[in-house]
Amino acid sequence: MTAVTFEFFANVARLAGTSELAVETGAAATVGEAIAALGALRPDLAGAVDACACVSGDAIVRRRDPLPADRRIALLPPVAGG
Amino acid sequence: MAFLSHQPLSIDVLLELDDHPECGGLALFVGTVRDEHLGRKVTGLTYTAHEAVAARLIGEIEERTREKFGVPYCRIQHRLGKLAIGDLAIICVVRAPHRAEAFEACRWAVDAVKHDVPVWKEEFYADGSSAFVEGCCIRDDFDDDPAHRHGHPHEDLKTA
Repeated sequence: MTAVTFEFFANVARLAGTSELAVETGAAATVGEAIAALGALRPDLAGAVDACACVSGDAIVRRRDPLPADRRIALLPPVAGG
Repeated sequence: MAFLSHQPLSIDVLLELDDHPECGGLALFVGTVRDEHLGRKVTGLTYTAHEAVAARLIGEIEERTREKFGVPYCRIQHRLGKLAIGDLAIICVVRAPHRAEAFEACRWAVDAVKHDVPVWKEEFYADGSSAFVEGCCIRDDFDDDPAHRHGHPHEDLKTA
Protein backbone atom coordinates (compact mmCIF):
# COMPACT_ATOMS: atom_id res chain seq x y z
CA MET A 1 0.00 0.00 0.00
CA THR A 2 1.25 3.48 -0.87
CA ALA A 3 -1.50 5.57 0.59
CA VAL A 4 -1.60 9.33 1.12
CA THR A 5 -3.79 10.73 3.88
CA PHE A 6 -5.68 13.91 3.03
CA GLU A 7 -7.03 16.24 5.71
CA PHE A 8 -10.14 18.25 4.90
CA PHE A 9 -11.47 21.48 6.36
CA ALA A 10 -14.63 23.56 6.30
CA ASN A 11 -16.81 23.07 3.21
CA VAL A 12 -14.55 20.35 1.80
CA ALA A 13 -14.80 18.30 5.02
CA ARG A 14 -18.57 18.73 4.87
CA LEU A 15 -18.68 17.61 1.23
CA ALA A 16 -16.37 14.66 1.94
CA GLY A 17 -18.34 13.62 5.01
CA THR A 18 -15.06 13.15 6.88
CA SER A 19 -12.09 15.20 8.04
CA GLU A 20 -9.54 12.67 6.85
CA LEU A 21 -9.28 10.19 4.00
CA ALA A 22 -6.50 7.75 3.08
CA VAL A 23 -6.19 7.30 -0.68
CA GLU A 24 -4.21 4.63 -2.51
CA THR A 25 -1.97 6.75 -4.76
CA GLY A 26 0.08 4.04 -6.48
CA ALA A 27 3.19 5.50 -8.10
CA ALA A 28 2.32 9.13 -7.37
CA ALA A 29 5.51 11.07 -6.65
CA THR A 30 4.18 14.61 -6.35
CA VAL A 31 1.46 16.39 -4.41
CA GLY A 32 -0.36 17.02 -7.68
CA GLU A 33 -0.32 13.35 -8.65
CA ALA A 34 -1.70 12.36 -5.26
CA ILE A 35 -4.47 14.95 -5.66
CA ALA A 36 -5.27 13.46 -9.06
CA ALA A 37 -5.69 10.07 -7.36
CA LEU A 38 -8.01 11.67 -4.81
CA GLY A 39 -10.01 13.21 -7.66
CA ALA A 40 -10.32 9.83 -9.38
CA LEU A 41 -11.60 8.21 -6.17
CA ARG A 42 -13.88 11.08 -5.20
CA PRO A 43 -14.82 13.03 -8.33
CA ASP A 44 -17.47 14.82 -6.25
CA LEU A 45 -14.63 16.61 -4.40
CA ALA A 46 -12.48 17.50 -7.41
CA GLY A 47 -13.95 20.95 -7.99
CA ALA A 48 -13.64 22.03 -4.37
CA VAL A 49 -10.15 20.52 -4.05
CA ASP A 50 -9.03 22.46 -7.11
CA ALA A 51 -9.48 25.69 -5.12
CA CYS A 52 -7.45 24.40 -2.17
CA ALA A 53 -3.94 25.24 -1.09
CA CYS A 54 -1.89 22.25 0.12
CA VAL A 55 -0.10 22.08 3.44
CA SER A 56 2.41 19.70 4.98
CA GLY A 57 2.90 20.32 8.70
CA ASP A 58 2.68 24.12 8.86
CA ALA A 59 4.23 24.74 5.45
CA ILE A 60 2.47 25.46 2.17
CA VAL A 61 3.44 22.95 -0.53
CA ARG A 62 2.73 23.17 -4.24
CA ARG A 63 1.31 20.55 -6.55
CA ARG A 64 4.65 20.22 -8.33
CA ASP A 65 6.43 19.42 -5.02
CA PRO A 66 7.40 15.86 -4.02
CA LEU A 67 5.06 14.03 -1.67
CA PRO A 68 5.75 14.89 2.00
CA ALA A 69 7.71 12.21 3.86
CA ASP A 70 4.80 11.57 6.25
CA ARG A 71 2.41 11.21 3.27
CA ARG A 72 -0.11 13.62 4.83
CA ILE A 73 -1.53 16.56 2.89
CA ALA A 74 -3.94 19.12 4.34
CA LEU A 75 -6.21 20.79 1.81
CA LEU A 76 -7.12 24.39 2.69
CA PRO A 77 -10.17 25.82 0.93
CA PRO A 78 -10.64 29.58 0.36
CA VAL A 79 -10.36 31.45 3.67
CA ALA A 80 -12.92 33.69 5.37
CA GLY A 81 -11.59 34.90 8.69
CA GLY A 82 -11.92 38.31 10.28
CA MET B 1 0.38 35.42 23.75
CA ALA B 2 -1.72 33.25 21.48
CA PHE B 3 -2.62 34.28 17.96
CA LEU B 4 -5.74 32.11 18.09
CA SER B 5 -8.14 31.68 20.98
CA HIS B 6 -10.96 29.24 21.64
CA GLN B 7 -12.03 31.47 24.56
CA PRO B 8 -13.68 34.92 24.35
CA LEU B 9 -11.17 37.63 23.35
CA SER B 10 -10.14 40.41 25.70
CA ILE B 11 -9.07 43.78 24.29
CA ASP B 12 -7.36 45.32 27.33
CA VAL B 13 -4.53 42.81 27.62
CA LEU B 14 -3.45 43.50 24.02
CA LEU B 15 -3.12 47.29 24.30
CA GLU B 16 0.21 47.52 26.20
CA LEU B 17 -0.78 50.96 27.46
CA ASP B 18 2.00 50.99 30.08
CA ASP B 19 4.65 50.44 27.42
CA HIS B 20 5.84 52.26 24.26
CA PRO B 21 6.26 55.81 25.63
CA GLU B 22 7.47 56.89 22.17
CA CYS B 23 4.01 56.16 20.76
CA GLY B 24 1.33 58.86 20.54
CA GLY B 25 -1.12 56.75 18.59
CA LEU B 26 -3.00 53.53 19.16
CA ALA B 27 -5.19 52.12 16.39
CA LEU B 28 -7.59 49.36 17.34
CA PHE B 29 -9.80 47.29 15.07
CA VAL B 30 -12.29 44.88 16.58
CA GLY B 31 -14.35 42.66 14.31
CA THR B 32 -17.65 41.55 15.82
CA VAL B 33 -20.27 39.06 14.69
CA ARG B 34 -23.01 40.75 12.65
CA ASP B 35 -26.64 39.58 12.57
CA GLU B 36 -26.99 39.81 8.79
CA HIS B 37 -25.14 38.53 5.72
CA LEU B 38 -26.26 39.14 2.14
CA GLY B 39 -29.81 39.78 3.30
CA ARG B 40 -30.03 36.68 5.49
CA LYS B 41 -30.62 36.82 9.23
CA VAL B 42 -27.59 35.35 11.01
CA THR B 43 -28.00 33.85 14.49
CA GLY B 44 -24.37 32.88 15.12
CA LEU B 45 -21.28 31.40 13.55
CA THR B 46 -18.45 28.97 14.01
CA TYR B 47 -14.83 29.75 13.15
CA THR B 48 -12.45 26.88 12.43
CA ALA B 49 -8.83 27.01 11.30
CA HIS B 50 -5.78 25.07 10.27
CA GLU B 51 -4.29 26.19 13.54
CA ALA B 52 -0.59 25.55 12.84
CA VAL B 53 -0.60 27.51 9.59
CA ALA B 54 -2.96 30.20 10.87
CA ALA B 55 -0.82 30.90 13.94
CA ARG B 56 2.36 31.02 11.88
CA LEU B 57 0.85 33.40 9.32
CA ILE B 58 -0.64 35.75 11.92
CA GLY B 59 2.78 35.97 13.54
CA GLU B 60 4.32 36.76 10.17
CA ILE B 61 1.67 39.40 9.47
CA GLU B 62 2.45 41.09 12.80
CA GLU B 63 6.15 41.10 11.94
CA ARG B 64 5.61 42.37 8.40
CA THR B 65 3.26 45.08 9.66
CA ARG B 66 5.93 46.35 12.05
CA GLU B 67 8.57 46.34 9.31
CA LYS B 68 6.41 47.75 6.52
CA PHE B 69 5.02 50.67 8.53
CA GLY B 70 7.91 51.17 10.95
CA VAL B 71 5.66 50.70 13.99
CA PRO B 72 6.97 49.16 17.22
CA TYR B 73 3.92 47.11 18.15
CA CYS B 74 1.29 45.10 16.30
CA ARG B 75 -0.79 42.39 17.92
CA ILE B 76 -3.53 40.32 16.33
CA GLN B 77 -5.80 37.72 17.89
CA HIS B 78 -8.48 35.72 16.10
CA ARG B 79 -11.25 33.86 17.87
CA LEU B 80 -12.14 30.25 17.03
CA GLY B 81 -15.18 28.21 17.99
CA LYS B 82 -18.84 29.03 18.34
CA LEU B 83 -19.68 32.75 18.49
CA ALA B 84 -22.92 34.62 19.17
CA ILE B 85 -24.01 37.94 17.66
CA GLY B 86 -21.82 40.72 19.01
CA ASP B 87 -18.98 38.44 20.10
CA LEU B 88 -15.45 39.54 19.25
CA ALA B 89 -14.05 37.75 16.19
CA ILE B 90 -10.72 39.52 15.69
CA ILE B 91 -8.68 42.17 17.46
CA CYS B 92 -5.83 44.11 15.89
CA VAL B 93 -3.84 46.69 17.86
CA VAL B 94 -1.11 48.91 16.45
CA ARG B 95 0.94 51.36 18.50
CA ALA B 96 2.77 54.05 16.53
CA PRO B 97 4.35 57.45 17.06
CA HIS B 98 1.56 59.13 15.03
CA ARG B 99 -1.99 58.33 13.99
CA ALA B 100 -1.44 58.10 10.23
CA GLU B 101 0.79 55.04 10.32
CA ALA B 102 -1.23 53.55 13.18
CA PHE B 103 -4.45 53.61 11.11
CA GLU B 104 -2.73 52.49 7.93
CA ALA B 105 -0.84 49.63 9.56
CA CYS B 106 -3.92 48.41 11.43
CA ARG B 107 -5.98 48.31 8.25
CA TRP B 108 -3.24 46.52 6.30
CA ALA B 109 -2.81 43.89 9.01
CA VAL B 110 -6.54 43.11 9.23
CA ASP B 111 -6.83 42.88 5.44
CA ALA B 112 -3.85 40.52 5.35
CA VAL B 113 -5.49 38.23 7.92
CA LYS B 114 -8.75 38.16 5.97
CA HIS B 115 -7.00 37.40 2.67
CA ASP B 116 -4.37 34.88 3.71
CA VAL B 117 -4.95 33.16 7.04
CA PRO B 118 -6.68 29.75 6.93
CA VAL B 119 -9.70 30.51 9.07
CA TRP B 120 -13.18 29.49 7.91
CA LYS B 121 -16.57 30.85 8.90
CA GLU B 122 -19.75 28.80 8.98
CA GLU B 123 -22.81 31.01 9.44
CA PHE B 124 -26.03 29.80 11.03
CA TYR B 125 -29.27 31.37 9.82
CA ALA B 126 -32.63 32.06 11.40
CA ASP B 127 -34.29 29.43 9.18
CA GLY B 128 -32.11 26.70 10.74
CA SER B 129 -29.76 26.31 7.77
CA SER B 130 -26.04 27.06 7.67
CA ALA B 131 -23.38 27.80 5.08
CA PHE B 132 -19.64 28.33 4.83
CA VAL B 133 -18.93 31.90 3.77
CA GLU B 134 -17.18 32.07 0.41
CA GLY B 135 -13.68 33.35 0.93
CA CYS B 136 -10.34 34.18 -0.63
CA CYS B 137 -8.52 31.40 -2.47
CA ILE B 138 -5.02 30.99 -1.01
CA ARG B 139 -3.81 28.45 -3.55
CA ASP B 140 -0.82 30.07 -5.26
CA ASP B 141 0.29 27.48 -7.80
CA PHE B 142 -2.39 27.94 -10.45
CA ASP B 143 0.35 29.39 -12.66
CA ASP B 144 1.87 25.91 -12.92
CA ASP B 145 -1.29 24.70 -14.60
CA PRO B 146 -2.17 26.20 -17.99
CA ALA B 147 -5.81 25.23 -17.43
CA HIS B 148 -6.02 27.95 -14.80
CA ARG B 149 -5.51 31.67 -14.83
CA HIS B 150 -4.48 33.12 -11.52
CA GLY B 151 -6.15 36.46 -11.11
CA HIS B 152 -6.00 36.92 -7.38
CA PRO B 153 -4.70 40.40 -6.63
CA HIS B 154 -3.71 40.11 -3.00
CA GLU B 155 -0.15 40.44 -1.84
CA ASP B 156 1.28 37.00 -1.20
CA LEU B 157 2.07 36.34 2.46
CA LYS B 158 2.04 32.60 2.36
CA THR B 159 5.73 32.06 1.81
CA ALA B 160 6.91 35.13 3.69
